Amino acid sequence: MKRFVRSTEMTLLVIGLVFFVGLVIASGGDLLAANSIRVLLQFLAVPVLIGLAQMVVLAVGQLNLAVGAIGGFAAAAMGVLMADHGVPVPLALLIGFLLAGAAGLLNGVLVVLTRINGFIVTLATMTILLGVQYRLVGTRTVDAYPQGLKTFGSAALFGVVPWIFVVALIVAALLALLLKRTVPGRQLLASGGNPIAARLSGISNDRSVIVAHALSGAILGVAAILTVASSPGVNKSIGGDWLLPSFAAPIIGGALLTGGSAVVLGTVLAAFIVRFVDTARAEFSLEPSWVNFVVGAVVLGSVVLGQVRARRQERRAVVKAPDAAVAGGVS
Amino acid sequence: MSAPVSSTATEALREDTPVEKPPRGTPWWANQRVGLLLLVVLLSALFGVLRPAFFNQQLVVFPLLRDIAMFTVVGLAQLCVLSIGHMNLAVGRMAAFSMMITGISYDLWHFTLYSGLLVGLVAGTAIGALAGWVIARTGVNSFVVTLALDFLLLGMIPLVYTSLTENAAFVTKPPGMRELRNFSLADVCIGNVCGSPAVPQLAIFAVIAMAVVGWIYARTRLGRELLMTGSSVRAAELSGIPTARRVIIAHAMSGCLAALAGFMLAVSTGSIKATIGEEFMLPSFLGPILGGTLLAGGFVSIWGTLLGTALTTVIRKGLDLLGVGLESLNIYLGLILLAALSTDRIRTLLSDRQAVASSSPPPPPKAAGSQEGER
Repeated sequence: MKRFVRSTEMTLLVIGLVFFVGLVIASGGDLLAANSIRVLLQFLAVPVLIGLAQMVVLAVGQLNLAVGAIGGFAAAAMGVLMADHGVPVPLALLIGFLLAGAAGLLNGVLVVLTRINGFIVTLATMTILLGVQYRLVGTRTVDAYPQGLKTFGSAALFGVVPWIFVVALIVAALLALLLKRTVPGRQLLASGGNPIAARLSGISNDRSVIVAHALSGAILGVAAILTVASSPGVNKSIGGDWLLPSFAAPIIGGALLTGGSAVVLGTVLAAFIVRFVDTARAEFSLEPSWVNFVVGAVVLGSVVLGQVRARRQERRAVVKAPDAAVAGGVS
Repeated sequence: MSAPVSSTATEALREDTPVEKPPRGTPWWANQRVGLLLLVVLLSALFGVLRPAFFNQQLVVFPLLRDIAMFTVVGLAQLCVLSIGHMNLAVGRMAAFSMMITGISYDLWHFTLYSGLLVGLVAGTAIGALAGWVIARTGVNSFVVTLALDFLLLGMIPLVYTSLTENAAFVTKPPGMRELRNFSLADVCIGNVCGSPAVPQLAIFAVIAMAVVGWIYARTRLGRELLMTGSSVRAAELSGIPTARRVIIAHAMSGCLAALAGFMLAVSTGSIKATIGEEFMLPSFLGPILGGTLLAGGFVSIWGTLLGTALTTVIRKGLDLLGVGLESLNIYLGLILLAALSTDRIRTLLSDRQAVASSSPPPPPKAAGSQEGER
């Protein structure tokens, strides 16, 4: 418990709560109306998922620049399948989901096979998938898909919690379970934390990398489904603005770029905070640019604070154990 | 029991030996630059045969060279930070920021073309140095810092534009800007000998940038120290190099070159607006990486950057002329990028094998894993 109080998650929770209370006061209580909360959560589902999709690959020490491209490509594929080819909704969604998963898998396989840096590989697949997405939908907006899906996208549990948000939370819970409790999840984190140690203990780093990229693709597949369900139509710009938020959420949430950290809760909380910033902007009717500005400041602030905290803890540890410090100095 | 464990351990380590290494002492055909040059020439010839219009001096070659010049400078901006093993994700936004300052100097202070450029370069250097300072001071990964800076500038720049201008663009154009855009070497004459009408005057900026950056890395102590910082920060530190200061300098150079690229884009499109540099991020990595610059730091190639940029730009232009739509262009570009990098790896493997076959002992396994080196 004491560890949790000092953790990044706790800090984020407090910041988020303070922010929310401030927003409620600023809005004169309007924000607590069922409809306001529904809208707030409605636009939170997809950011949570794209943050998680990036977090998974960060956990194994890789990057995925293709988050937006995979999501946009899958969403475009679903839209075109349903609207132009009359494919039944569940089948179209399944195909889109599998396509996204396959794209992620392909990223992982390419990284492992070619040994090219993941940054470059996902940069290349991003370019390719953006082209495919554009070719699928062109300049039009595909919106002629069944009403039932759109109804699901705007439906809410008790009129407050949108179903798509529930789906995002379920994915987050499953991911946390997978990373913390299952063998492949632990192996993935081990590979990310220290590849050499992981290999020496018989873990295949290559498999971990492939699993992480495939998971990332699958999460993006879910994000694409939710996007198709909740937005008025699918066009070529979907996914175009996902890249920066996908890094912001895990980094604010305390993920290490060097790998080995699983911060599902932190990522979700960070997505909340970013959403609050957006809500605040709407509340005070400021320019949309302010959101990016504030998010940039928050990202920078949170990493610098994290660094300062780590250093202070180190110093405290040194004071507590002077012998160890001396030994460390000698070696 | 201990013997098999240690043998798997060495095997494990050997498999992780970094595959990327400076192409020194490799046969000429394994040299990346030669391959790139051949590819550029062959592709240009191919496009020229398929569409003779590809060699039209005014309509194709002139803008093509202008694009190559600009993206080479963008690539050099990335190369400076790659040399110390860092990244600059804000390269486009730094260009936008410095052009904003330049625009203000033209619009509000009525500066001339070149003093405005100077102001922009100083602004770019300053913002780059700021990024470097934050990285050096806090020890946070350069990826995160420049990403956050990108966010910050992405938010700030439109705010400034909307508060200072009416149409989100600085409309005042100092005298000489239009001429600089359209003039080629044909307008520069020494006696009776004039230059080619196909070579834009803007390309001179790229040549100067390449010369200066090349001189720094090849001839000066600063360049050596930057590369050493890139190879191993610890070793550099232990040999008395002030690595923190080198990090700041590398990022400042990157910002300065980004500003120059932004200026070239502003001149060639004829307007200074908030969206300058939006499409810089991808090409900034493509050029240097294709040209053989290491992401891990410690090795740069100026000529490679030019050739890598030329390759992607020629492909883009050629496919465009062949009538390949915008939508398919990206698909081919991505595929070519993957293919180029994969063949590169195959070539390295082959030349390594040849080196082994010619009786030189295999390189000793390095302790650092390839994944470690990639970061």
